[in-house]
Formats: sequence, C-alpha cells, structure tokens
Amino acid sequence: MVVKDLKQRLRDKSVLIFSLAVPLALMSVLNLVIPTGADDIELEPVSMAVSVDPDDELAGVVVSSLTGLSAFQVSATDSEDPRAAVDAGEADVGLIIPPGLTEDLRSGTGHSVRMVTGDGAGLSTNVLIAITDGLLGELRARSVTAAAAVEAGLGPEIAGELAQNELDAAGAITAQPGQASDQQLSAGGALIAGQAGLFLMFTVGFGVLSMVAERENGTLARLRSMPIPPGSIVIAKALASFVLGVLATAVLLTAGSLLFGVSFGAAGAVAVLVCCAVAAATSLTFIVVRLARTAEQANIVQTILALVLGMSGGAFFPIAASGAAGAVLDANPIAAFTRGLGITAGGGELADLTVPVLTLLAFAAVCLLASRLIPDRGASR
Amino acid sequence: MRIVGAIAGVELRRFMRDRSNIFFTFVFPLLLVVVIGVQFGGGASNGRVLLTETESTLGQDLEAALTAADVTVDPSGAEEAGEALARGRADVAIVISADDVAAYEGGDPVQVEVIQASTNGAQTAAQRVQTALNELAATRAQVASLEDAGAAPETAEQALETAESTVPSLQVEVEDTSGISQAFAGATGFDVGAASQVLLFVFMAALAGSGTLIEARRGGVIARTLAAPVGTGSVVAGQALGRWTIAAFQGAYVMAGTSLLFGVTWGSLPVALTVVAVFAVVAAGFAMVIGSLLDNEGAASGLGVGVSLVLAALGGCMFPQELFPDALRTVSSFTPHGWGYRAFAEVQRHDAGLVEILPYLGVLAGFAAGALLLGSLLLRRSLSRAI
Repeated sequence: MVVKDLKQRLRDKSVLIFSLAVPLALMSVLNLVIPTGADDIELEPVSMAVSVDPDDELAGVVVSSLTGLSAFQVSATDSEDPRAAVDAGEADVGLIIPPGLTEDLRSGTGHSVRMVTGDGAGLSTNVLIAITDGLLGELRARSVTAAAAVEAGLGPEIAGELAQNELDAAGAITAQPGQASDQQLSAGGALIAGQAGLFLMFTVGFGVLSMVAERENGTLARLRSMPIPPGSIVIAKALASFVLGVLATAVLLTAGSLLFGVSFGAAGAVAVLVCCAVAAATSLTFIVVRLARTAEQANIVQTILALVLGMSGGAFFPIAASGAAGAVLDANPIAAFTRGLGITAGGGELADLTVPVLTLLAFAAVCLLASRLIPDRGASR
Repeated sequence: MRIVGAIAGVELRRFMRDRSNIFFTFVFPLLLVVVIGVQFGGGASNGRVLLTETESTLGQDLEAALTAADVTVDPSGAEEAGEALARGRADVAIVISADDVAAYEGGDPVQVEVIQASTNGAQTAAQRVQTALNELAATRAQVASLEDAGAAPETAEQALETAESTVPSLQVEVEDTSGISQAFAGATGFDVGAASQVLLFVFMAALAGSGTLIEARRGGVIARTLAAPVGTGSVVAGQALGRWTIAAFQGAYVMAGTSLLFGVTWGSLPVALTVVAVFAVVAAGFAMVIGSLLDNEGAASGLGVGVSLVLAALGGCMFPQELFPDALRTVSSFTPHGWGYRAFAEVQRHDAGLVEILPYLGVLAGFAAGALLLGSLLLRRSLSRAI
C-alpha cells in the first residue's frame, strides 16, 4: 500500500512538489532574504538630517556623539526642515533640537528633542534612537546634579559648576560582551530549522489528505472489505507520510546548510532528530484524520495547526517566553526540533539530545493516544 | 454579475451545508487568534532581558532602570540564561558575578558580562542595557561629585532623589513623517509581525479552494455549467467569490479577535480589514489558477503551500522587508504579499487612511484581475483534458 501510494503520488507529481520543488524553492528564497552567514544582522549606515542651533554647545555634543559611533556609520547633514528631508527620502532620520538646550539643561527647564523617522526606519534607526535617549539621559544627569546641589544647600556657584562638569566616570559600569552558548543557532540557522519544522507539518498532512480522498471516493470502504488487518491501512498512509516527511526535511536541511554555510553537526544525530520530528508531526495527522470529514476540512485544520505550531515554535521569529508559557512552548515539536538542531550544531552528540528527542516522542505518544479517544467523525460518511 | 453571484451562492451553500465546516472555519482559527494575540498584544516591549542576580543592590538598581525603559526583565540562572538565548527566548542576558556586586557596593569600576542572542531585537535591547548601565554609573558619579562638593552622603542621596523628581525628563520624542508623534515603544519598526502572519494565513486558507475547483471539474459540474450560456470568466469569478468570502471572513475574524481580546494594534481596523479583503481577492484568484492548472488535490495542496510560503518570504512576511537588500525589495514588489505588507505598514505605523493606501490597493487589485484572467484561460484549456 505504501509503495502504491508513493507511486501514485509520483505520477500526480505531488511527491516531487512536496519533497523537492517546494523545499528547494523555499530555501533559495530564504537564502536571498536573509543575510547569508551573518550571525548578526549588519547595521546599515544612517543618513541624518539635522536642525540644531550651531551656538548651542550641548546640542553640538549630541550630534558629534552620534556621528562618532563605532557600531555603524551615521552621517549628519544640516537641514532647514528635517521632516521634509525624511519625507522626500533624502535622509533616513531627522534630528530636531530647538535652540536653548544648553540653557534649559542648566536651569533645569524642560526641553523637547525630536527624531523624525520615515519609511526607511530600520534596525539602525531603532538603535540610534536608543543611543540618543541614553545621551540625553547623561546630559540631564548634570542638571539633576546641579538641582541636587541646591537642594543639599551647597549654594548656586557650586551648582553652576557641577552643571558644567562632565560626570566623573571613574566608577563607570561597563558591559563586556559575553560568550554566547555554542548551542545558539545563527539567525539564519534558526529560521532554516523553524521553516523545515513548519513545512514538515504540511508535508505529513498529505497522507491525511489521501486518506480522506480515499474515503470520499469510496475506495477506503473497499479496502476495508478486504482480508487485511484494519489498522494496516492507516499505518500504510502514515508510513507514506513519514517517508515523504523525512525526504523533504533532509532536502531542506541539506540545501539550507549548503546555501547558508550553517553546519547542523553530526549527520547521525541530526538523522535521529529528523525521524523523531517527523514521527511527532505524523502522529498529529492521526487526530486530523479523525476530526475532518472532507478533504476541505482536513486542509483547513492542517493549515491552522501548522501555522499555530510554526508560529509558537519560532518558525518566523523567536518567541520570548518564560515560566508557564515557556513550558507550554517547550512541548511544541517545532520548538523541540529547533532546540535539538541547536544542540547538534554546537557539537552535541546523540546522548545530548535526550530532552528534545523525548519531547518529540512524548508528543507523538500523546497525539496517538488522543486519536484513539476522539470519535471518528469521518466513519459516518 | 447575476451568474457570478449564483455560482458563488451555490459554492457557499454547499460549504455551509456541512455544519462542521462552520466549526473548522470559525472556531478553529481561535487558536491562531490566541497565538498572534499573545505574541503581539498587550503593548510592545523594548526587548526581553535576563538578569542572573536580582537580590543585590546592583541587580535591583539595574532591574529598576531597565523596567523604567520598558524593557521586560526576568530573573534567571546563568546556565538557563545561555540556553534561553540559544533558543531565542530572550534578547540579552546580563551575568552579574559576586565580584561585580562587591565592586558596585564599594564604588569601584564594574564590568558586567552581557550576552546577546541572535534575535532581531537583540541589538536594540543591548543598547538599552548599555543605557541603563550608564544611568547607574551616572547616579554614582552624581553622589560622588556632591560629596566632593561638601554634602554629607545621606543628604546627597536624598537631594538627588528630590532633584530627580523635579527636573523635567528629557527623552527623544519619536515622530513619524506623517506628523503623528508616538512613544518610542510603538515605533519599533517590527510591529507588522501580526499583519504578516494574517497575510500568510489568508493566502493559504484561500488556496485551499483550489481543491474544490478540481473536485467540481472532476465531477463534471464545471462542464455542465459551461453547457449553459455562461463564460469561463463567470465560472472562475463565481468560484473565486465563494472562496473569497470564506478567506476574507477568516482573516477579518482573526484580526478582530486579536484586537478585541488581546489589544493587538492594527491601526484603523476598518482600513486594515479593507487591505485583507482586497488581498483575499488576489489569493482567491491564485486558487483558481492552481485549481485549473492541476488535476489532483494532493499536488494542488502541495503547490498551494509552496507558493504561499515562497511568496510570503519574498514579500517580507518571514523576515522584515526593511532589512532586505535593495534588489530584493524590488523583487518583493512583484508579490502580492509585498504590497499587502507595505499597505499594513502604512496603516499600522503611519495611521494611514483609505485614501493614502489606495495606490497599494490598486496594485493588489491589478494582481487579482491578472490572476482571475489567467484562471479563466486555464480553466477553458483544462476542459479539453481528461481528469
């Protein structure tokens, strides 16, 4: 039955579409979309249109601090109207500091600093805004010191002096870049793993669709009338899905590692992980086959389940979660699969994969059990 | 038009006759509502930071400074933090050692370890951490300079606290070129994530309609309809209208659900719903193309999934368009997802109204017209094939 199914799918090209064409197309596109081999996303240079009073000392400090950043290049050009410059696409971001910043800071009066973002607002702009916020905080700290000096009864001369002085950074608190875990997949690697997991959910669904189609066409009833164990039909369908799932995932991961230069580690360990992930995904289809009466319903359920598991498993973006939510997400087969690939990529062996493998197998077992308990809605057709 | 309506009506009645379809179409997407709502609802945060030490003064001060900057802070062990970063569960981890705590208490220079994840928000979060560290350093320097000027330690700290509350805050006001000022937290540039997922879902849900067209062709329904004085264009338009109703409703349902239950911001909801409605027409048109091109539901489903994922990736629904190289941004203009994404970006970030996004809707309508035309040509050709 498995061979017949796969042959039939070869004939109608769905095997080729599912296990070769789509995974390769998806990987090639992701390769174009994601900065290849870059663990960090490159921060683009930013062009800034600036409107400041040239005689305002501290406003000049803000501008020169921003243009002197080492993380990424910031070029500043004077502009009458930064808003218009950003609007016209001549600058990525506008900085407007109305005259009197220095004076206001000294006297502890409020002052507004505006940054204008446009369609070109990207990651660099976000970081630039965060840096500017920090700079202003430092400048404000001086006027706070001056105000505190008056409050502490030290007199206005001392307060004025303190407002002029840069704060002594002898007791500075600095950040030292730490060593990331060797199990940390790069942004590209995490996306490949997540997308492979998401796509797997669709690939194994194909077995369900053929089962439902057989039911609709009446061939399933005929098969059941034959002298074969009743469970063998479902097992054959699941096995065909399993083979297809393993093939498609292998193609995706191989293509992904070649295109992105990401190594997922020991082939044996990865193979075990792939088989467990495919088993977990396939077991989910047993539930779908009992829930859905028609191919159309099976399609809807499959799409929603795949997207929900894909999204919460980090196929599109990592999901920040901790505590109870984190524990729920840990049970997600796509999350466990990505986690396992992180371990193998960091040089982990089969023995290190205990948690993800057990998670995947437990998920498979729970789904199989649930599928036994759910009434078979399709049987009544 | 009457014929198109009649065909769409039949399609919808057939769909609704099976009561369980209602469950799958409208109750099941609640799962999606929950996932999108949890991820994008409840206001944006400036990142998620793990702190390995929250008992000491240093840990508590750092936590307070980060929380004030809208950063989500969670306590975590050093090892768990590394694992959480590896899995993208947090953006940055701050590892504080006993020496750091002692140095902070003693007023000596402190060097804490900061580890970044490879998430999109990691760099911005790391910058926020740096800013928080600078704030702590500034506070210490302020106390020191007041003491040097002759204030008693306790007086200096109290005076600083008072001054902190009286001196007006100085923060960047982020303003959009459309003239709408917004809080920094909302201007993260990645708030179209929820929209991306809805575009992906609506497109996929509509493509599931290709199977029903294949079924109708196999059952002779299409041939029978065309025997009446009805053109292939009307048949395709009627079928597509039926599928569009279902897909657009599902998209609207997910958006309204996330907005009402989880406070996900879509800009102006009616305008955002219009974008989804027009986008769903394109998706329904694509479903007709696939349903006329292929003769097997399995293959159609495979191609549908593939086309949906590839177009979504090219259109910026998996990786933000803003981070695309220029050449690829041009390529994304050839995908409906690319235009849907841009329309949503205008609506969500710039509070654009219907008039401002008309050009985007126009391009999407062009895609829809092209897909429906191609669908009817392919349907005519398919009639000469055995199925």
